[in-house]
Amino acid sequence: MSFRLTIEPLGETIEVEDGQSMLDAALRAGIGLPYACNHGLCGTCKVDVVDGAIEHNHASSFALMDVERDEGRCLACCATLSSDVVIEADVEEEPDARALPIGDFTATVARIEALTPTIRGLWLELGGDGIDFQAGQYVNLHLPGLDQPRAFSIASPPAQSNLLELNVRRVDGGAGTTWLHEVAAVGDTLRLTAPLGRFFVRRSAPEPLIFLAGGSGLSSPKSMIEDLLAAGEERPMTLIHGVRNQAEIYYADVFRALAATHANFRYEVVLSDAADDATWAGPHGFVHEHAERLFAGRFAGHKAYLCGPPPMIDACITTLMQGRLFEEHIFMENFYTAADAAQPARRSALFRKF
Amino acid sequence: MAKKKLGLKERYAALTRGLDWETTYEPMDEVFPYDRYEGIKIVDWDAWADPFRLTMDAYWKYQSEKERKLYAILDAFQQNNGQLNISDARYLSAVKIWLQGITPLEYVAHRGFAHAGRAFRGAGARVACQMQSIDELRHAQTQLHAFSHYNKYFNGMHNFAHMRDRAWYLSIPKSFFEDAYSAGPFEFVTSISFAFEYVLTNLLFMPFVSGAAYNGDMATTTFGFSAQSDESRHMTLGLEVVKFMLEQHEDNVPIVQAWLDKWFWRGYRLLGLVGTMMDYMLPKKVMCWKEAWEIYWEENGIALFHDLGRYGIRLPKHHEVAGKEKHRLTHEMWTTLYQFGNALGLHTWIPNDEELDWFSEKYGELFDTMYKPRLLYLRELEEKGERYFNNRLPMVCQVCQIPVFFTEPDDPQTQCVRIVEHSGTKHHCCSDGCKDIFEREPEKYVQALIPPQQVYRGEAGGATNIFEYAAWLHLERDVDTGEYRGSPDHQHWLEWQRRHKAASPDEAA
Repeated sequence: MSFRLTIEPLGETIEVEDGQSMLDAALRAGIGLPYACNHGLCGTCKVDVVDGAIEHNHASSFALMDVERDEGRCLACCATLSSDVVIEADVEEEPDARALPIGDFTATVARIEALTPTIRGLWLELGGDGIDFQAGQYVNLHLPGLDQPRAFSIASPPAQSNLLELNVRRVDGGAGTTWLHEVAAVGDTLRLTAPLGRFFVRRSAPEPLIFLAGGSGLSSPKSMIEDLLAAGEERPMTLIHGVRNQAEIYYADVFRALAATHANFRYEVVLSDAADDATWAGPHGFVHEHAERLFAGRFAGHKAYLCGPPPMIDACITTLMQGRLFEEHIFMENFYTAADAAQPARRSALFRKF
Repeated sequence: MAKKKLGLKERYAALTRGLDWETTYEPMDEVFPYDRYEGIKIVDWDAWADPFRLTMDAYWKYQSEKERKLYAILDAFQQNNGQLNISDARYLSAVKIWLQGITPLEYVAHRGFAHAGRAFRGAGARVACQMQSIDELRHAQTQLHAFSHYNKYFNGMHNFAHMRDRAWYLSIPKSFFEDAYSAGPFEFVTSISFAFEYVLTNLLFMPFVSGAAYNGDMATTTFGFSAQSDESRHMTLGLEVVKFMLEQHEDNVPIVQAWLDKWFWRGYRLLGLVGTMMDYMLPKKVMCWKEAWEIYWEENGIALFHDLGRYGIRLPKHHEVAGKEKHRLTHEMWTTLYQFGNALGLHTWIPNDEELDWFSEKYGELFDTMYKPRLLYLRELEEKGERYFNNRLPMVCQVCQIPVFFTEPDDPQTQCVRIVEHSGTKHHCCSDGCKDIFEREPEKYVQALIPPQQVYRGEAGGATNIFEYAAWLHLERDVDTGEYRGSPDHQHWLEWQRRHKAASPDEAA
């Protein structure tokens, strides 16, 4: 059976499976607890247990001293839960996080629209007060016949709490996205869990914003930008949307209209696979290449929000960092597919978030 | 609404920040004269993210409990004659090279971090270095205490501090640290905390601590556990310093790159000794040098540099040479140590047949065609009563001070020697890596005191041959030095094993 783990000072609550370590559960939920050795020897992942019962398992008696055990500390990489637990960990508190409660909902498919040849828009209608979420967050959809839920970012703004828009790209061989493209129909009811994720706009940060979106990764930036502009946001904002070819462009009219009415908003589309398309007069290349051109390679003094497939995010992080914008100013949502998750990239401990 | 509880970071900041001040009687540049001349530009010291948050109060409490545990185990080890439970007395050569070469480095690290802990104008960086300084002193002491029991039963460990400043082969680790701590504070922390303790740490500690565990050395294994919980702090300090420099100003990037090039190569060269220890001196093997290099550098290290690439940092220069040398490094180094055995404070020997098979399995054809015949030839000489010794001292590299025995990266049959001229004097380097380091700071390396040259000048107490030199190191001929087989250590071991077995009917049966 699983227990709930609440991580202070974030106030986030996550599920921890039987036998799963706290650290593993937190990292999988996108909460970057510090760690190094990951097998109980170094002590980097030490946290305070504020409430509940845990097992220390094989934590080294040198990395976690008896006095520390008596004081209620544990090593997150080894500790498993024996009850619901509250810990206090060395993670940065986010003043702009709303720590919203996660709930289970039932929604009805209200509308389906082909946005591009590979992306379908789905509008899910909810009863009651709908879902309170922060622009940028996602839902877990429980689809018929699939054991694991599938994650989709919400493309509509939070003000529209009863009608959630999702943008679903069809993944070759992907059971969830294939079902949503071929089987899902208006009137179906679906179960979902939301709101999830730590991708949201840091409104209290004063810097101009850069949104870099790849393909259906336009969803979160769309929600964020619509939300910001509706609230009267005046900081400069740039959205760069990268897709393969002209057929894959969507919502250009929506963003052009926003750019026409908001002097602080700039919208750019860049095509990566349209070299021989004579009808395309716009820029060619990948998102990171266009960002580099647009900002002359200098990104310091901005906040950047990245959303899309892992290779695009990876390339954008490198470009931003080489333009002197570093980890604490970069926020991202990786659209991992089951195939990406099966071959995790080898990483070092240099960065917490990347 | 009640005031929200402070997060750990805020609490630590409230405890530790704002305790220093901008000086007014003296300009800050004169109070902190060393943190700018290296060219590192720090725009905002407040952006320093404390790599760990530890108060002095908690530090003393944790460390004292660690000491109690460590010394309880050391006591038990000593009272139970733990020296009899090690795999074989040849293992002591590994302990000796560690005691003579590496333990003194812990002490020098203590001094270096004490200096860095005074030199930075950012209080966060100063505190981190000061705590590490105390850790390093503790590591030096606890290592000495863990090893001291062996000194009662085995030779060669009685005068390590005297040897450190005089022995030709100990100038390899000594010069490494002296190079680091005679640099500025940023380079020092980059070299030790980042390059050595972070990038290369597994290659240093894995053979040592796992090697100790495999070979029944409970005392050293326990020291290793007690130190590893400190090492995590040291590693995070290394990461933070490098990230901090790279993020503070883009002019820092080429300076940091040059340091990473230099300290990768210097660290790798020093690890040659550790690799030789793991391949040849551990009677029970953990893994071979080549495997360790592949896991800890070619996988983990390169993943780290891939991430550093986001800052515009590339892989360290000459890393591919290390990859080419991984098949031969330890074999070349062991035969070097073997032949100069009359001036070593540890024993050398030719591996037994089982060990030769292990080398064949791990190193394959190159070992079978190049190194095994040489080892068999040396064994043949020994069996004829003509154990080979080179009773001179080798020419050593002006930078890493390792004998110039390496071979060309692409040709394991040709000796690799690089000659650089500076102010009309020729200096010898072992590799392009060391030559680059020399050429970047020739004024520094021309000052290196090269032990074999000093010995031949008569600076070693007037010694005129290798035996007088060894005596000047306080090494007794054929007791502390020379061949293992037939040495007093070997004979004692055989006798103790015989008596130990006779006294315990279980094992005798």
